[in-house]
Amino acid sequence: MPTAKVNGQEVEFENGMTVLQVAELAGEEIPRFCYHERLSIAGNCRMCLVEVKPGPPKPQASCALPAMDGQEITTNSPKVKKAREGVMEFLLINHPLDCPICDQGGECDLQDQAMAYGRDGSRFAENKRAVEDKEMGPIIKTEMTRCIQCTRCVRFITEVAGSPQIGATGRGEDLEITTYLESAVTSELSGNVIDLCPVGALTSKPYAFQARPWELKKHEGIDVMDAMGSWIRIDTRGPDVMRVLPRQNDEINEEWLSDKSRYAIDGLRTQRLDTPYVRQKGKLKPATWDEAFAAIESQLSGADAKTIGAIAGDLNEVEGLKAALDLFRSLGVQNTDCREAGAVYGAPGAPRESYLFTCGFEGLEQADAVLIIGSNPRLEAPVLNARLRKMWLKGSAEIGLVGPVMDLTYGYDHLGDEAGALEDLAKGKGAFAKVLKAAKRPALIIGTGALSRPDAAAILNAISEIAQKYKVVREGWSGWNLMHTAAGRVGALDLGFVPGKGGMDTAKMLAAAKAGKLSTLFVLGADEAVADADLGESFVVYVGHHGDAGASKANVILPAAAYTEKPGMYVNMEGRVQAMGRCVFPKGEAKDDWAIFRALSERLGKTLPYDSLADLRARLIADHPTFGRLGYAPEPQGFDLTALASKASKISTKPLTGAVDNFYFTNAIARASQTMATCAKLQSEAQPTNANAKVTA
Amino acid sequence: MGVFSKIFTWWNGSTVGTSWTLMRRGRKVGQDEFGNTYFEARDAKDSYDGRKRRYVTYTGYAEPSKIPPEWHAWMHYITDVPPSEQPLARQPWEADHQPNFTGSGRAYRPKGAIVHDTGAQKQQDHYQAWVP
Amino acid sequence: MSVRRLAPADQQPQSFKFTPKSLEVVKFWMGKYPEARKRSAVIPLLWVVQKQEGWVSEPAIQLIAEMLEMPVIRVLEVATFYTMFHLHPVGKNVFQVCGTTPCMLRGANDLKAACKKHMGPKDTVSKDGLFTWQEVECLGACANAPMVQINDYYYEDLTVESLEKLIADLKAGKKPKPGPYVKRFNSAPEGGEKTLLDPALYDGHLGKPAKTLPNAPTTGKSKKEKA
Repeated sequence: MPTAKVNGQEVEFENGMTVLQVAELAGEEIPRFCYHERLSIAGNCRMCLVEVKPGPPKPQASCALPAMDGQEITTNSPKVKKAREGVMEFLLINHPLDCPICDQGGECDLQDQAMAYGRDGSRFAENKRAVEDKEMGPIIKTEMTRCIQCTRCVRFITEVAGSPQIGATGRGEDLEITTYLESAVTSELSGNVIDLCPVGALTSKPYAFQARPWELKKHEGIDVMDAMGSWIRIDTRGPDVMRVLPRQNDEINEEWLSDKSRYAIDGLRTQRLDTPYVRQKGKLKPATWDEAFAAIESQLSGADAKTIGAIAGDLNEVEGLKAALDLFRSLGVQNTDCREAGAVYGAPGAPRESYLFTCGFEGLEQADAVLIIGSNPRLEAPVLNARLRKMWLKGSAEIGLVGPVMDLTYGYDHLGDEAGALEDLAKGKGAFAKVLKAAKRPALIIGTGALSRPDAAAILNAISEIAQKYKVVREGWSGWNLMHTAAGRVGALDLGFVPGKGGMDTAKMLAAAKAGKLSTLFVLGADEAVADADLGESFVVYVGHHGDAGASKANVILPAAAYTEKPGMYVNMEGRVQAMGRCVFPKGEAKDDWAIFRALSERLGKTLPYDSLADLRARLIADHPTFGRLGYAPEPQGFDLTALASKASKISTKPLTGAVDNFYFTNAIARASQTMATCAKLQSEAQPTNANAKVTA
Repeated sequence: MGVFSKIFTWWNGSTVGTSWTLMRRGRKVGQDEFGNTYFEARDAKDSYDGRKRRYVTYTGYAEPSKIPPEWHAWMHYITDVPPSEQPLARQPWEADHQPNFTGSGRAYRPKGAIVHDTGAQKQQDHYQAWVP
Repeated sequence: MSVRRLAPADQQPQSFKFTPKSLEVVKFWMGKYPEARKRSAVIPLLWVVQKQEGWVSEPAIQLIAEMLEMPVIRVLEVATFYTMFHLHPVGKNVFQVCGTTPCMLRGANDLKAACKKHMGPKDTVSKDGLFTWQEVECLGACANAPMVQINDYYYEDLTVESLEKLIADLKAGKKPKPGPYVKRFNSAPEGGEKTLLDPALYDGHLGKPAKTLPNAPTTGKSKKEKA
């Protein structure tokens, strides 16, 4: 390996690294504005100047300079110090001194680096430049006078998000960052430019002037807006969740986060259930917990367990579901299901791998052929879509799609709208069949949209045939990937929150309710399932945190906690078990989900054997050892694909659409969010500004 | 305030000693709207800096922030003409002077301070509840 | 130079179409680049638009983005970067008056005043739609200062009188001859050559055969080094 000397200290590095990276290896901090590890190198801020020998006798921009064997890099000489001071002075020439009223104040790269590397004063006595603010939509607030033209936002939107809407017009002093004719940025990842902006030029519009970073309490959390389980930081002040930021995790979300995960949190303040309700004479009346439990108790006493059902929703954490499941099983209830849309994930008893994203998000990058079936990754998991785009830009994988044509921000072979294309593939017809055949690591991405149809069993059968034919699961590689859209789904499946012996699934339960054969239905935040369903005369108990579709149909409402308000474990679609703590307290009278079922069990005379969350978790891990391994994705493991095969019924010719229609309205929190509503409105009005154009970095 | 507190407390009005000193050496200059009385020494004999010393005796509890701004200026030698001779022009937007209430029951508590909250969170400030 | 923006919406045409003649030029330029690099043709295409319409309009930018399959913001970036693209409607004759130091010292300020007098304020279209004048930085003809670029050609060594004559000619529909407007050839001295006049300079008597090539390494020194 080549070596270089950084301030006299020998460092080994890999070929292709830049001087800046080598200096970082040696533990030297290099100030920078435009350089970012995950974006292309621009080299236009000049803040990263260092001295390099051999080389020209002037400071060099280290971010764009390839390191060479035997190079001597100096980062602490008086010359470098002076060069940095000079650059900083130039940057500050046109930067306004409005830190006291700037939202970036306190977490501003320019502020910090001016303190660390700048001069004490400016020699610039002339007028500063002023720039008109640009409109960039409901998420990005602009204050363009503060812009230092690092172009990180332009590079992110073009390269990572793949929706080239931001650009730099004009030149020199008049360079301005803008969207075309000031249209809104419609990418699902647009919020990330706010984090990337090293100054306060792009700030968060919903969070504008709400809080200062030093007032906030920071909590490490797990995102529940999609099934990726992205790492987030939840900033709270008092009882309010102020904002959500991504945390870096290269295995999951790198350092990006979708707009929904960031900005749906204003939904946590509206439409909240904060007190139990009981329906009396057709009207929901506020009640005490005691009255609510009494109503449930009288309903359940003497009821046949076969006429009781429970449907779990998308956002439920594992502990609450475990308590609920234990309670229902002790009551003898077998009608339990967590699959709101009724997706089929393989025959009962199929291995755990059959409903997981088995190769993992990071592992997916090693795939050389990816077939997307009935999914729109851009809407179902935007951050994963950015990874697919990265693979496409690198040219490391061929991507095929079975489903309607859509803008995925990368190029793909469209194999057909309908499931018929799957049968062709299974027979080895078409050009993409050759690609799959030649692939060393083929991967399938199977959307839940494809598996939530009446003919899902047949589709799953066809997919498993493809998987067997092209050896998607082989020695050292498993490319069987199910794309979930609900954060609570995999955890619930791991728990076995599925119909017990002779139990009914979601669709059958809803049908039974309509026919009057279901006396009691517990809805655990499953608003999507019951939204359009006719529940007949059934006694509906809604346990959830938002007054959405489920609450208005309920006979008894038990207010529970939202994801920021309870400690909980979530399993992402890779099968990675992750835990987070409580950030704020539940609203009003609301309680943690598991505590509600524990209290109810006592009322019903079937007291659950745990009194604290720790007891519950111990019990959970004893019953299901998978939950004992926190933070790790399971190793890619092969499994018997034939277990998925079933007697194939006929496949209909309906197009294989994705599971998500409207990205901004997928769960109760997002539906209650004003910001998401604005975004959705804009999205529906937006005209494609040639966004379909192929984009190369 | 009776004779008793006049003799034995120093925090109510002026003490006997102060009154004696002011009678002997001071000249009454004026009185503000709260009844606090202001004095100036007759000469600069016991001055620290060559200026005549200025004094205040409070009505009731001795609390320096009771001194209104115009008298505060005089006390600190910002002006030499006492407001009793030349009252300060009052602007229509000026509020009445208030002493510092910190530590008392009338102290300022910002919105959301813990002392205001009784029991469960007050919902209307922080979230909007669902109404069926 | 100042901030360059597209013309306001009320000045923009409803749509833009290439004429058949420009379309041929477009095809020529697009044919020069391989399919994967077709966006390289963005500057020539913008230039063709400007040749056709006199200026670059918003619908034209949209059309070019569509033709070259590139994001429209990228076309806007190019169009706003280069000052040679007019983003606002201009008159038939665009006067680009050089105002940089050499021209200024030789009377560019008077030319600007004359332009203002005959065509109205800077950067606007004159009432008859024939003229627009703007001040630009050095056009690289300092030897012929002061000068004006009218559309594609340089008109040099101007005075207020000759400029006014130019304006009058253009108004009358004539095509004035480009080049210097005093008696000289290009940037040769006024009134004929003044140096290198002796014919003996050219008869070859000063030429001497060279003994060594200039700057050739001297052999003696290398010997010394060897020793």
